[in-house]
Amino acid sequence: MSDTAMSPANGVATSRINWRLIVPVAVIALMVLLPFVVGTQSYLLGIAVRAMLFIALGQAWNVVAGIGGQLSLGHGVFFGVGAYGTAILFNSLGLTPWVGGVLGAVASIAVAGLMGAATFRLRGVYFALATVAISLCLEKLARHFIGITGGDAGLAVRFIGDSLSAAQSRSPLPFFFASLVMVVAYYVLTRRLLRSNFGYQLQAVRDDEEAAAASGVPVFRTKMWGLILSAGMTALTGALYVQFYLAIDPGAAFGLGQAIQIQLPSLIGGLGTAGGPVIGGAIMILVSEVTNWLSARTAIHGLDILAYGAILLIVVMFVPGGLLGRTRRGA
Amino acid sequence: MSSTVVSLIQALASGLLVGGVYGLFSIGFSLAFGVMRIVNFAHGELVMLGMYAAYSVYLLTGADPLLAIPIVGIFLTVVGAGLYLVVYERFVGKATLQQLLVAIAISMVIQIILQMIYGPETRGVQSVLGSQYLIYGPFFFSYGQIAAFIVAVICVGVLELLLQKTRWGKLIRAVADDPEAAEIVGANSRAINTVAFAVSCCLAGIAGCVLIIYYPVNPGTGMALMPIALIATVIGGLGSIKGAFLGGIICAIVQQLTSTFWSPALQDVPLYVLLLVFLAFFPFGLLGRKTAH
Repeated sequence: MSDTAMSPANGVATSRINWRLIVPVAVIALMVLLPFVVGTQSYLLGIAVRAMLFIALGQAWNVVAGIGGQLSLGHGVFFGVGAYGTAILFNSLGLTPWVGGVLGAVASIAVAGLMGAATFRLRGVYFALATVAISLCLEKLARHFIGITGGDAGLAVRFIGDSLSAAQSRSPLPFFFASLVMVVAYYVLTRRLLRSNFGYQLQAVRDDEEAAAASGVPVFRTKMWGLILSAGMTALTGALYVQFYLAIDPGAAFGLGQAIQIQLPSLIGGLGTAGGPVIGGAIMILVSEVTNWLSARTAIHGLDILAYGAILLIVVMFVPGGLLGRTRRGA
Repeated sequence: MSSTVVSLIQALASGLLVGGVYGLFSIGFSLAFGVMRIVNFAHGELVMLGMYAAYSVYLLTGADPLLAIPIVGIFLTVVGAGLYLVVYERFVGKATLQQLLVAIAISMVIQIILQMIYGPETRGVQSVLGSQYLIYGPFFFSYGQIAAFIVAVICVGVLELLLQKTRWGKLIRAVADDPEAAEIVGANSRAINTVAFAVSCCLAGIAGCVLIIYYPVNPGTGMALMPIALIATVIGGLGSIKGAFLGGIICAIVQQLTSTFWSPALQDVPLYVLLLVFLAFFPFGLLGRKTAH
């Protein structure tokens, strides 16, 4: 297989100072110092956790959608299975979220396998529509089977106080470091993926499915592994999310709003880039904080959704590649 | 008659009545796809906009929603033409994911703006028709649903006539049937697309007027209706006008049957399953042409 034929358009900037290494390391160092600057109980830490959960979901989606070109609108499914799975196993069986989260990810991967088998024959918009259908269907089911999911009201995780084994804490500090580790790990993974053989195959499938197949890329299997990796990452983030918020409901898990929020970081920051979801997620949290503040002052609700919609509209129409993205991109 | 048979017939007949209205707005969705290859994810929101518009007319004048049809229809026609020229025109013919994302963004914006104006509460009108029932033996039907069905059938008939007999209608059909060939003979113009999209939105507005008679509206209504338009269109065959109407009726009957024999809360679940089955195995739907895919 010729790697040159399939390598993506964005090459490494080969200036003497390696900004692609310095910038991420500096950002990580600043983030590690944050709790010592703002204080370990600061509400800013809570916002940072929210931001990093946003970013991690964006990074997970970016693997199959940005790098692999399969624009799933159904990632709420994996997020929800991870979050609900962790919460249900803890509440009903007392199983530690450390194991529950992994089991949630496994369940999510199984769902991804089924979803991929059902939908990967479809391309582009049809694939996206099929994934919407699956997500909305699960939302209905989650609202109906109250005994398992708590129905519309959602599910609250039984709070037992500060506990490492239950992964619960009153302070946001442990979640700050956990989500930071997750975001850094996903970032490193994405960068490695972009330079790996599998990553090249994903990008080849994204850029031209026929050409990829003709050059010997196993298209279906590549999409499937991409989705499985992405689903596992999304579910683990879902598990961390439910430990931090201690609650999950059908809308937050499977709703279309959630599916769109998962996409926004990469779309804003740059589809298929390692840094894109990080920058996009950071922008989103700023927007979300500002609009929440405005909503509180003006008593007008939904400003955040309005802002997300407007940003999505502007980005897709005028900056289709995102801030870090390559400027020209097809479907 | 056993009670099961009564329930079955009641569900089928109610499904037919509700399905007429589903068919009406699904035709709009299908038209946008057939002519322009635009998947208008905001279509449900446009139906909802029509519902709120009819509700506003009712609040201001006390007029029955059926009387609001002309003004709401014109309003949605203007909205549709604007939406097409400002946003959708650049995506014509490609059914790209960017286009889908833009449509999703528009649906979010419409939904939130309507929520800001009307609040999150569910709102309905006191139509003379809405609260009265036609009782026939063991069966009962809302006059509102009957009126809505009649309006839907009339609109579909008029649309079909316009598409068959008028020059614009023929051009629109030509583009929907075979965009490439129509383009070659010079039919794929900006004007045709604008008209087709405006008609698509007008149908959504009319459907909104008749729906509000018996279906109270809240800001989540658009998101509940959009999947129905999508599923009806896929079942009927993407881009097929008759197919979309048939698909709408099938969707409503499936909902009613599920509601009656399983659970009202789960009435949409079989629809999603149907959508997946059709997308995977019958992508051209019941009446679609192979070129529509």
